[in-house]
Amino acid sequence: MKYMIMMFGGLGATMENRTPEWITSMHEFMLKLDGELKEAGELVAGHGLVDPSQAKTVRFQNGAPVPTDGPFAEIKESLAGYWLVDVSEERAIEIASQVVAFTEYPMEVRQITHG
Amino acid sequence: MDDQDPGDPASAETALRRIEDLLRELAPQVLGTLVRRHGQFDACEDAVQEALLAAALQWPVDGVPDRPRSWLLTVAGRSLVDQWRSESARRRREETAALDPAGHAPATDQDDTLVLLFLCCHPALSPSSQLALTLRAVGGLTTAEIAAAFLVPEATMAKRISRAKERVRKAGARFELPPQPERAERLGVVLHVLYLVFNEGYATSSGHVLRRAELTVEAIRLARMLHRLLPTEGEVSGLLALMLLTDARRAARTDSGGAIVPLAEQRRELWDAAAIAEGMALVTTTLGTAPVGPYQLQAAIAAVHDEAPSDQDTDWPQILALYGVLDQIAPGPAVTLSRAVALAMVHGPKAGLALLGTLDTDDRMAHTHRPEAVRAHLLEDAGDTVGARESYLQAAKKTASAPEQRYLTLRAARLRQPAPPTDPAG
Repeated sequence: MKYMIMMFGGLGATMENRTPEWITSMHEFMLKLDGELKEAGELVAGHGLVDPSQAKTVRFQNGAPVPTDGPFAEIKESLAGYWLVDVSEERAIEIASQVVAFTEYPMEVRQITHG
Repeated sequence: MDDQDPGDPASAETALRRIEDLLRELAPQVLGTLVRRHGQFDACEDAVQEALLAAALQWPVDGVPDRPRSWLLTVAGRSLVDQWRSESARRRREETAALDPAGHAPATDQDDTLVLLFLCCHPALSPSSQLALTLRAVGGLTTAEIAAAFLVPEATMAKRISRAKERVRKAGARFELPPQPERAERLGVVLHVLYLVFNEGYATSSGHVLRRAELTVEAIRLARMLHRLLPTEGEVSGLLALMLLTDARRAARTDSGGAIVPLAEQRRELWDAAAIAEGMALVTTTLGTAPVGPYQLQAAIAAVHDEAPSDQDTDWPQILALYGVLDQIAPGPAVTLSRAVALAMVHGPKAGLALLGTLDTDDRMAHTHRPEAVRAHLLEDAGDTVGARESYLQAAKKTASAPEQRYLTLRAARLRQPAPPTDPAG
């Protein structure tokens, strides 16, 4: 089964009021987790996204697509990054829990459709 | 390979590396010869890739053949014939007769490599296609390696390369040097492609290691090759020197945890003295003997940085003067940005900030975090902690480079005023 584990919030939201030590240890934690997922053959793909303040949103308005600056949702609800993992649901939740324990930000785990 | 002990992993590693170096040196020569004989750049390119793969598998086991170039030509030729046979049993059967590898003298190898470079950097191609095709056809990298270097799936890169070859064919490109009136401009494109390959490697070099060839190493190898082919072209020498003088700082650019170390804080004893010496020599022999150009000037600026024993000893007035010249012959927002840094070092952060302010309305800078990052540093130097922190955070939000993002966020965090605790999930 493939699951997408999604992280929300922007760089500003997660890091702005953290200490340099926290930022450094967060980076080390993420690197370590990434390495473990790769090493275990669980990671399919994973990417971080630039801050949502840099996003463009394309909306359907008056019968035509209209691009505008900024994210669709509140910044703290905006996608910040994701992992695509090939694991059981239990394991996917376990991975997400490790990250949430560190960042204290919610994450979403959803199965990828197949067939 | 006779002098290698196969049981010793270090010497086996060296032997493998030697084979790789040889293969990639020969790749454009073999391809050039094939295209000259048969035309059909795209089919020949596929055939050479197959021959390279076969050699990479076979030579480490059986040893390097006595005439490696002929070996590759024969195997590539066979693969080409197989391709044709499968396309049409009758078509071009006579070609088998022409595939005698001993038939052609290697006298035109050098020209062939140059022609290939011009072909891969054809103006009909997008920069990303030019990069990919150059790395494969001239650099001898496999599609998988190029894909890994650019962090895209192999199938995507394979498509990009085959589309690029198709486009070159449709553009009616011929296997010959561009006519003289166009040549300077086309050489400019070739240099830019090599510069982009280098930058791609340089920007992603922290943390992300390629399996076989770092892009910076590959860019330097190709620039060195081009310099051998065109030793009197000042800008070719300039580009090679710029790459060497920049890459020389690689070991000092990141700390043990992979975090960016700015130039001013780098441990200079980690710089590659041999690369600096080579770059310096190139700058010295080129400046004054060839018409000056932007790569030579940027190399000269890098040389001034590299020859300073410490950051405090950097000859900033000299750097500012060089940026002044660069601003005259090749003005642009990136030059203005660098000049603002030099200006700040010579005349103080306020002078730098004033020049930087002229970029605020420049749309060409709208998509990069660099002006904001420079502003942050200059504000910090000027003692404006609050403004500097704000600029660091703005720059961090703008960059798509994870190491840069981390560096800028850390700089901002260091200037942080103690804030009341907040609910992070709120």
